[in-house]
Amino acid sequence: MTVSAPPVAGLDELLLTMADDEFVIGFSDSEWTGIAPILEEDVAMSSLSQDELGHAAALYGLLAEITNGDPDAIAYDREPDEYRHARLLDHGRGDWAMTIARRYLYETADAVRLEAVAGGSWSPLADLVGKLRREERYHQMHVDSWLARLASTPGEPRDRLVAALESLGPDAGTVFTPLAGEGDLIEAGVLARSMADLELRWRASVAAAFGPLDLPVPPATVDPDRGRIDHAEPFRWLWGEFTTVRRGDPGATW
Amino acid sequence: MNRRTDGASGGGPALEAWEVFRQEKDGDPMRHGGSVMAPDAELAIHYAREMFGRRQESVRLWIVRRADILDLEDPDLLQPPLDRSFKKPGGYVMREKLAAAREAAGQEKPKARAR
Repeated sequence: MTVSAPPVAGLDELLLTMADDEFVIGFSDSEWTGIAPILEEDVAMSSLSQDELGHAAALYGLLAEITNGDPDAIAYDREPDEYRHARLLDHGRGDWAMTIARRYLYETADAVRLEAVAGGSWSPLADLVGKLRREERYHQMHVDSWLARLASTPGEPRDRLVAALESLGPDAGTVFTPLAGEGDLIEAGVLARSMADLELRWRASVAAAFGPLDLPVPPATVDPDRGRIDHAEPFRWLWGEFTTVRRGDPGATW
Repeated sequence: MNRRTDGASGGGPALEAWEVFRQEKDGDPMRHGGSVMAPDAELAIHYAREMFGRRQESVRLWIVRRADILDLEDPDLLQPPLDRSFKKPGGYVMREKLAAAREAAGQEKPKARAR
């Protein structure tokens, strides 16, 4: 891949946050492989997780181009504190309702973010995002089905979903943690709107979806400026898992 | 794994079988690909997509509830015991007659459809 346009200030931060989000949710959801509710759902969730890792690989690839880095090193060779995914994704896998709630909150937020980057002035990213959005359409269909199914089944399904949404809610808005360089990105036309604007749009869309299902909308983000740092213990555990092979033989060619 | 079909254990909705037909590329016939278990049409579509389309191996899927398929396997209707050779075209050679008819009409043999 050749990246011709000159990098814009703040672009590396945008790419890293987007890539880390996809990477972490992909690995987190892949924990269902082998133990999902039914065989078909096992294949579906594993396939969705692979898609997210594919998105992460493409975004790390762009980041590596503009920083003269190695995508694998960016993905695997950082310490847990150096990852910049949203705190929403720090929660452990949990039960099926937790996974559906997290996927729903993340996918809807990611969709708003992707829309704001899709028509951007830096064509390598705008082109990639055009492709990501086509794949995310199916992800959204899948999680919409499950959210409605759990929400409308009284008893344990709905109770677990509501509990998961209440647990994740205070961290849900962290996908829109302000970026240090977002002013530069907006000025350069890479990003259409500020993260604060995008968060308002996302909250409106979630409220519209949750209203008819009578689900609790996410409250204001706690400690919003620290939304992509201070990663919690479940992520440190996940980091240990996804770096095991890489750390087992540093520098090996696979 | 318990392939629940009665909805009795675990409290979830009953699973039922859906047959999946796939078209590999435009112009191909729909061929039976296999089946998935799902509690309803919406998830049947998701699972068919994941089982038979996630590697871009299909351009179209048909997903049919197995219970909706009209199943005919009555041997009296399909494999009757009497001699039916008079219903088969064996012994009646068309090739020369067809070639002669084409020549008379000045037509060439049509090519096999491009795949």
